Amino acid sequence: MPDFSLTAEQESLRDAARKFARTEMAPKAAECDKSARFPEEIYRKAWELGLMNLNVPTEYGGSGLGALEQCLIVEELAYACGGMTTSIIANCLALEPILLGGTAEQKSRWLNPFCAEYHLASFCLTEPGGGSDAAGLQTRARKDGDGYVLSGEKCFITNGPHASLFTVFATLDPSLRSKGIAAFIVPGDAPGIVRGKDEDKMGHRASSTSTIRFEGVRIPGAQRLGGEQDGFSIAMRTLDQTRTPIGALATGIAQAALDHSARYSLERKSFGKVIAEHQAIQIKLANMAQAVHAARLLTWHAAWSIDHGHPGTLESSIAKCFASDAALRVADEAIQIFGGYGYMRDYPVEKLMRDAKLTQIYEGSNEIQRIVTARELLRQYG
Amino acid sequence: MEIVVLIKPIPEAESRLRATPDGRGLEPEGVKFVLAGYDESAVEQALLLKESLPGSRVHAVSFGPARCEETLRAAIALGADRATWVEGPPEGSDDPVLAARALAAALQTVPHDLVLGGKQAGDDEEGIVPGAVAELLGIPSFGYVTDLRSSGPSGLTFLRPTEAGVERWEAPLPCVVGLQQAWNDPRSAKLPNILKSRKAPILKVDWPTTSKALALEAKPRSIGEKFELPAPRTGAKMIEFKTPEEAAEKLVRLLREEAKVFP
Repeated sequence: MPDFSLTAEQESLRDAARKFARTEMAPKAAECDKSARFPEEIYRKAWELGLMNLNVPTEYGGSGLGALEQCLIVEELAYACGGMTTSIIANCLALEPILLGGTAEQKSRWLNPFCAEYHLASFCLTEPGGGSDAAGLQTRARKDGDGYVLSGEKCFITNGPHASLFTVFATLDPSLRSKGIAAFIVPGDAPGIVRGKDEDKMGHRASSTSTIRFEGVRIPGAQRLGGEQDGFSIAMRTLDQTRTPIGALATGIAQAALDHSARYSLERKSFGKVIAEHQAIQIKLANMAQAVHAARLLTWHAAWSIDHGHPGTLESSIAKCFASDAALRVADEAIQIFGGYGYMRDYPVEKLMRDAKLTQIYEGSNEIQRIVTARELLRQYG
Repeated sequence: MEIVVLIKPIPEAESRLRATPDGRGLEPEGVKFVLAGYDESAVEQALLLKESLPGSRVHAVSFGPARCEETLRAAIALGADRATWVEGPPEGSDDPVLAARALAAALQTVPHDLVLGGKQAGDDEEGIVPGAVAELLGIPSFGYVTDLRSSGPSGLTFLRPTEAGVERWEAPLPCVVGLQQAWNDPRSAKLPNILKSRKAPILKVDWPTTSKALALEAKPRSIGEKFELPAPRTGAKMIEFKTPEEAAEKLVRLLREEAKVFP
């Protein structure tokens, strides 16, 4: 039988994240959501405590945690605010290409100074012309002496307005599709970077999102990650690593929705008794609890697979897809349990539904996750 | 400065508490015990003093059952240099004087210029241990202390807020201080330090050693008789009113007729 108990170390990491989430993030979640404020003071504090560069090895100044530990932390943070969590963990996504594709020299050159101070990084893959069709990206990298010149536009870039480092995927030859894509490290102050306006989003409003336009941005050859054809593979392997924490993020939102609902159902009265005594509500709560449990266990299993050296592509796709679908469903039911109050912004559950929605879309839409799942599945039969 | 900070694991604020089957004490099963409350402030204050006086060391000491170890690791993760678990009797004990005797016995071999603790534990709030430890060590004791600062290698200054005003004190070292509040809100542990704290050694003074040192004093003198949780609070009553006068009139009537606060 598998052992689902956490080690004392894992519990203490989770407790630290829980404390931060409940004392620092939760009190400001509603305000930041309402005003779409980017709470930099919270992000700085998260960085100070080591909650930001979770996947970066300690030798480069990160926290050097495994996938399961990352998931435990991310779930706790997302319980308090999905949007803040997105901004806090964006560095993990943006720096993973350097961890996967960088040479020892590149890692030391870029990660050490980056992690030694509070800095944000952004992962630049998605473009206005396509997100899921990553192999069809149009941002061009043209050879220029010993370097490259980047031209094109990326969109929906988390932390884009604030990032001091970008990992950028650009094509040397669009006709080669995935084989033409290379990955680059681009410092935020490189001439030719134009940051778009902060997007007005449905949810994750404490996070900041913008387009990033590259207008002839010159990059030395030493800032290319891997070979000229390796970019697509680096991007996909990055997502294999970072998809699982999105499952954890969705699980955190779902758990919050369940907790709010269960508490409310023990307070709110209708037909002369608390609504928790009505079977209609009990069945909803049971379904929600099933979804939360399943989401968490799938996420833990995917993380366990990655921590045990498996690629985790299938497991992480299943986990991310299931957990994010579960989060939206559970948040939807939470609003239903709250009734009219649930629809009001003064109550916490409608935010959860808006925040949950994004987890079905970003870091690989759930349609893509299902395609990945089917492909991995059929491979076992073909 | 050699700073010893006395800490006690207490139930996490969100814990759901219940009595043991014999009804004499708190059932520890299923309760998470943490470093919190005044003791957490004491650790913060110890670290602030250490940072203000280069060469200082903080030694966290906890008396009780095995759960002390987690609390000591929490102190190490925050910045304590060393930690000692003074094991309690196997049958358990809530006797604060026994705790003080065991701690004082253990401190015989631990260098201490300042012994710092919360003014009282955050759970039972008895506030006996710091004073009793001082008495047993034969050094001065000060309680309800705030704004604790070093005044050189051999002294401290601090404030004691009282009902009559704020007292300013100077105290010699060594002494025991029961802290009301640190200068800062307690810091949070950084993730890398939490990971390091898991591997840090915890010194242990086992119960047989303590028991032998205390001889006849190793027996608890006080034993809990009955442990009861407060009765659940009944719901609030909302008074509907159009004018403040009407609200006051209704409130007075309720206080007199229902709550019977006055005749």
